[in-house]
Amino acid sequence: MTMTPPAPPSANSQRIAAARAQNAVKIYGSGDTEVTALRNVSVDFEAGKFTAIMGPSGSGKSTLMHCMAGLDRLSSGEAFVGTTPLSSLNDKQLTMMRREQVGFIFQSFNLVPTLNVRENVTLPMDLGKGGLDDAWIDEVIRTVGLADRVAHRPNELSGGQQQRVAVARALASRPDIVFGDEPTGNLDSKTSSDILSFMQRAVRELGQTIVMVTHDPRSASYSDRVLFLADGEIVHEMQNPTTELVYDTIKSLGD
Amino acid sequence: MLKLVLRGIRANLGRLFMTLISVVLGVSAVSGSFILADSLRAVFNGISEDAFAGVDAQVRALEPELSSSDLTVLRFDDDLIDEISELDGVNYAEGGLFAFEQVYSIDSDGEIVRPQGPPVFTASWGGDSPVSSFTLLEGSAPTGQQVALDKAQTDSGGFELGQMVTLSLPSGEPGQFELSGIIDFGEGGTGGAYFILFDLPTVQSILGAEGEVDSIVVNADGGLASEALLDSIATLLPEGLEVVSGEAVIDESQEDFGSFISVFGNILLGFAGVILFVSTFIIRNTFAILVGQRTKQLGLLRSIGASAGQIRRMVLSEAVVIGLLASALGLVGGLGIASLLKLLFSQGGGGFPEGPTEIRIRTIVVVLLVGLGVTVGSALLPAMRAAKVSPLEAIRDGGKTGRTNKFRLIAGAAVLLPGLALLFTGMFGSVDSLSLRLTCLGLGAALTFIGVAMLSGLFAGIVSYKIGAPAEQVSGITGRLGRENAARNPERTAATASALMIGLALITGVSVLAASLLRSFDALLEDSITADLFIFEENQGLPFSPVLIEQLDALPETDLVAGYTTVRALVAGEQETFTAFNTEVGDQVVSFNVVEGIAAIGEDAVAVSEPEAELRGLSIGDSVAIEMEDGFQTDLTVEGIFEENGVIDSDWIMSIDFAEPHANIAGIDYAGMTYAEGVSPEAGRAAVDGLLRAFPQLSSQDNSDFKETFTSQINSLQLLVNGLLALCLIIAFFGIVNTMALSVLERTREIGLMRAVGMTRDQLKRTIRWEAIIVSLFGSFLGVALGLLLGWAGVIAIPDNVISKIGIPWVQLAVFLIGGGVLGVIAAFFPAARAAKMNVLDAIASD
Ligand SMILES: Nc1ncnc2c1ncn2[C@@H]1O[C@H](COP(=O)(O)OP(=O)(O)OP(=O)(O)O)[C@@H](O)[C@H]1O
Ligand SMILES: [Mg+2]
Repeated sequence: MTMTPPAPPSANSQRIAAARAQNAVKIYGSGDTEVTALRNVSVDFEAGKFTAIMGPSGSGKSTLMHCMAGLDRLSSGEAFVGTTPLSSLNDKQLTMMRREQVGFIFQSFNLVPTLNVRENVTLPMDLGKGGLDDAWIDEVIRTVGLADRVAHRPNELSGGQQQRVAVARALASRPDIVFGDEPTGNLDSKTSSDILSFMQRAVRELGQTIVMVTHDPRSASYSDRVLFLADGEIVHEMQNPTTELVYDTIKSLGD
Repeated sequence: MLKLVLRGIRANLGRLFMTLISVVLGVSAVSGSFILADSLRAVFNGISEDAFAGVDAQVRALEPELSSSDLTVLRFDDDLIDEISELDGVNYAEGGLFAFEQVYSIDSDGEIVRPQGPPVFTASWGGDSPVSSFTLLEGSAPTGQQVALDKAQTDSGGFELGQMVTLSLPSGEPGQFELSGIIDFGEGGTGGAYFILFDLPTVQSILGAEGEVDSIVVNADGGLASEALLDSIATLLPEGLEVVSGEAVIDESQEDFGSFISVFGNILLGFAGVILFVSTFIIRNTFAILVGQRTKQLGLLRSIGASAGQIRRMVLSEAVVIGLLASALGLVGGLGIASLLKLLFSQGGGGFPEGPTEIRIRTIVVVLLVGLGVTVGSALLPAMRAAKVSPLEAIRDGGKTGRTNKFRLIAGAAVLLPGLALLFTGMFGSVDSLSLRLTCLGLGAALTFIGVAMLSGLFAGIVSYKIGAPAEQVSGITGRLGRENAARNPERTAATASALMIGLALITGVSVLAASLLRSFDALLEDSITADLFIFEENQGLPFSPVLIEQLDALPETDLVAGYTTVRALVAGEQETFTAFNTEVGDQVVSFNVVEGIAAIGEDAVAVSEPEAELRGLSIGDSVAIEMEDGFQTDLTVEGIFEENGVIDSDWIMSIDFAEPHANIAGIDYAGMTYAEGVSPEAGRAAVDGLLRAFPQLSSQDNSDFKETFTSQINSLQLLVNGLLALCLIIAFFGIVNTMALSVLERTREIGLMRAVGMTRDQLKRTIRWEAIIVSLFGSFLGVALGLLLGWAGVIAIPDNVISKIGIPWVQLAVFLIGGGVLGVIAAFFPAARAAKMNVLDAIASD
């Protein structure tokens, strides 16, 4: 099986990487229980691109997301959001960074149950001091199709609607980059494709940068670029993926 | 099963710890009360046995049916001593005379030497004898112009054996006595009291009781008074005297001490009960939360075949283990409390009797029952709820099996309404006895507390959401989240707040009563006191010698002087209490608002209160049949009818000149006077205080002193009571900490999420703090409101001559509310710190 040669990086992306990892190493535990989740990963996430990360279970995808999003720290190497090296930030600065520059979508349980849809979307901004761009927030909420549910609480929403709120929240603060760890992993394929196409539009039309972990080749096909992780290393990379291409690649990597 | 129980306890150790503390506090209070009372009783029993060692029989006056004074014992002729001594079988007989707070020693600075609290006794002592209650430590027994003092008094006055000691005497003339001996009471010490001992003739002349004694103690040949000896003594006795065996004397005195200690112990037990009551709410709440959180686990157990009964038993067994542990710790805690109180007393009262600490089997049994009962009782409802968890709930996410609001409304009302009914019965019902009224109030209050606690779940959500509005305004999203969290589980908020509610309601109630007492007293001073100066014994209101009244009257600076005392007499065959004074001053010293007739009634007249006159159908000019203590009977004319009044708190008034020869008056209770024209208050006071130097136990007070004294007395009483009630607040505090900690644990994922999207640790802490503040304020508002209700109920139920007006201590109420909020801030500290320490990723990944 021949690998698709990586497409030449665009001049644009060379200049602005929304986030990047440099020789990222993450080791959990020590001694006998030591697990190396990331070994020397270096990767750029171009601004304005939708990147998918794939790989077998335990390959280090979540770990990479968490370390890039400032939710966890690398054992060595460096992660940058914009030009900021995350290791230089203390806990408070990391929190600020998560609040202002990074959006995160978890597989489930993304919402604060006591807040309604709109409050959940604006939560990161409410936590900060800056004012709200109401028009933009309305637009985001409308785009995810929840304009008529703004006053509802999470327990009044379906799982898919809840994930859409999560996506809206991740985008609402116009972060430099949005990370999603299997954001549609719990959803049926129809709902899942709704959300994915919305994310795709957010990238194409609103200029957002999104990095998403997925197990599903069809989900990956919504992205501009797919990174394949195995055993804590990037083993392959594909531009402009289609479901079939991704599927084939996974099969070939598995051999 | 046991393994599961133990595992359940171990897994929830932290959560159960707080519960344990609240049970332990309550149980400790109970066991402390018992241990202290038992130890005191043992010590005093020992003292009685010491005091009457060698006394095989005692001759004394029969207690008269009608007695004006509870302090004086009737005296009789001392010739009997010799007659008894000569009887066959009598080894030794000694006459005794005894008085209470009449003679004091004066130190070289002219200051009175007296213990704080315990009394000063004056007694005769015949020296070392088979019946002596005293042991000589140094020197010799007093004879003639000599005195013997106890060790503590000697030390505190700086006296030395052989020196002349100045004594203040009832005559008003101080006397000089040589300190011949230093004594101890029995072997075990004086229990804090001071003793001033003379030989019999000296005491007789000091107390103005020449040729009289109040008891004769007899030591029999062979050490035991036979029935025959008692009989032969009895034949010698004139009417009005009796002889009792030594054992009977010891039994009586032990009973006297015993009943005093029981009252004291019961007061402590009352507080312990309140504390336990409050703990119950906390325990119930903790078990309810724990069961709620384990719904999934319990469902799983059910789905793998555990029966409902097994689940119920599992939860109850946890309660049993906690209860046992709490009882054991409570017993130890009780020992601590008892020794602490003993220490406090001995520091306050100068010499608390030393003695062993008594832990009776009864105490252990009660503590076990209480500890187990409270814990298991509180866990009963949660256990039943746990048993209802269906296997399905293991799969469903955190299914809620709460009761319906309708059920809660009905159940709550079913408790609250009888509670309120009882409260109103105590206030307005036709219940005559004060203690019955207060019992109604107490029961009513307890039911009201439970009822409100049950019902408050219905409105805790809305109300705490409303209370939280300022939080959102002040601190934005953190305030908003705190507000939402406080309101999201109304039942839990209500249960958590209820302990605080009860504690603060009691404290508020006491404060309202205290403020009302002060206001009523103010009104009383304004209305009834026309005197410029009053004289009384400040510590216990003990009577003093009438000699002082004459001396005061003789002062050129005084105009009218009146000495007031209490006399009991039969009016048409019924015993009544009279205020007796030199009625010729009328109501110019103490006003009693005469509505008909005159105030300055004559010697052959009485004045009667309006309600009493109505009751007996008396009007001015009627005559009433009076029988005095000594049997003297006469008719007196009603010359005045007066309104009820708080200073003169009896329904009847008579002239002291009439009463004196026929009543056994212990002395003057208080004296009041007005100054002569042109005498400045300073000059008048100086002259009176000059006289008082001979009566060092007395103090002079004008209206403003009165107010000050009364205010400070009420304040310190309020402080003491509220200090004990503050234990409830501590329990409430633990309850809040516990609930908050459990809630934080329950919301781990949510907390992780909020941290992930940019909530700082400080913001998280603030969120939790706001929640705790709102929950505390909810409890505080309810508590203060209920406290006002209770205070008002108390004011209505307590007779008008004690509390006539309601006073609302606004500042204190504000402090209580703010204090409630502060309590929340402090209670949030630990849960907030714990939440802030959570690792974001772990929190998100947690189940
Ligand atoms: N907190 C942790 N402590 C110890 N080891 C961990 C921890 N988190 C992850 N690991 C290990 O690190 C490796 C990578 O885990 P990671 O969660 O990044 O995998 P993943 O690619 O996201 O897998 P999946 O597709 O199953 O979500 C795994 O071997 C995992 O067991
Ligand atoms: Mg993962």
